[in-house]
Amino acid sequence: MNRLRSILSFSAVTVLALGLASCSVQPCYEDTDPLMNALLLTSGTGETAKADSLRIRGVTPTDTIEFIDDKAISVFSVPLDPSEDYSLFFITLNGVSDTAVVYYSRLPHLVSPECGYTFISEITGLRTTHNIIDTLIIENKSVNLNGEKNLHLFY
Amino acid sequence: MAKRTCIFFISLFLLAGSRAVSQDTVTVPLHIRTGFDLSGPVLNMISSNLVSYGIMASVDLNSSLTVTAGLRYSSFQSSQFIYDFRSRGTSIVAGTDYNFLKANVSRGKYYAGIGLRYGLSFYNEEASVIRYTNEWGSGEASMPLIRHTGHFLEITPGVRTEIFPGMTIGWNLYMRMLISAGAGKDLKPVWMPGYGAASSGMTTGAEYYVSFSIPYRKIKVIIKPKADQPEDEEETEGTPENTGTSSSGTGNRL
Repeated sequence: MNRLRSILSFSAVTVLALGLASCSVQPCYEDTDPLMNALLLTSGTGETAKADSLRIRGVTPTDTIEFIDDKAISVFSVPLDPSEDYSLFFITLNGVSDTAVVYYSRLPHLVSPECGYTFISEITGLRTTHNIIDTLIIENKSVNLNGEKNLHLFY
Repeated sequence: MAKRTCIFFISLFLLAGSRAVSQDTVTVPLHIRTGFDLSGPVLNMISSNLVSYGIMASVDLNSSLTVTAGLRYSSFQSSQFIYDFRSRGTSIVAGTDYNFLKANVSRGKYYAGIGLRYGLSFYNEEASVIRYTNEWGSGEASMPLIRHTGHFLEITPGVRTEIFPGMTIGWNLYMRMLISAGAGKDLKPVWMPGYGAASSGMTTGAEYYVSFSIPYRKIKVIIKPKADQPEDEEETEGTPENTGTSSSGTGNRL
């Protein structure tokens, strides 16, 4: 009978502890914003280039959002619009402006139960004007949370 | 002098002989069990997000080994600021339990051991609302209902006791190791029925079973082997009337 009582007690405590543990809310410590990473390169030589100035703005039908406005920069990272299958960017490099459109497919990705979902993207295409940009090529299609280089921008 | 020496050797021989053939046996009933998990309904009272009902069945193969199988229906939903998630499905586990208690202690009534099981989960998941915010702004999206099949391994140390003939209760902890959620790396479910949080490679918890048992056979288990036999237990079929621990010195009876 004593054995039965101890089994029952232990079971009740275990179940209660598990139940209470499942009720606790954990904070999110993880990165949840996938960024498209690009490297600036000198056209012809293919060497890494450092732009004197770089300004990148995202364009929506209703707004323009400034992502980057920096000097002496050779790499940049911008997010893709999770509400659309394309993102339109105004890129002003050393004072000369170009327009670039990045096309992609979106897929939900569970970061963690605490952080919820984010959208990772697979780049499907690029279009750009060529005022200063010579070539914009896809190095790695997957825009995810790994921080890999996605684009090479030659100018 | 020669006579005394002869008597000494004969006595020694007899003693040695009686040690060689002596052994103790115990008759152990083997059971078929079927039961249900109480922890699921109890957890449901604490947290209404999770509904989990489990049943199990097991058959004793011998005094130590039991083949067991379980069926569980689970439904989970989570409504948070950043997403609404729901999954539901049925999982099946099958494997064996090993009782560490010796036959003369367990007597077919008590169990303290460990089980190893393989589990399959047939489930679907859906995120009806995914709310996001980044530099482009805020918005909502969704993930449609998708069906998957996941699988996992389960290690379950636990105890069980017979509270009265035909009814046993017992709990076991479980450690489940995810082999695959079957949903790829991006769409791992927040909760995989039968397993738990699939974003983690291992989940732990406890189950509390009430089960009904029927003895289907009795076996005699040698608990003290002959001196010239290996230490392992040997089992033979017995008759129902030979219950309880028999006395030593019955080595030739089996």
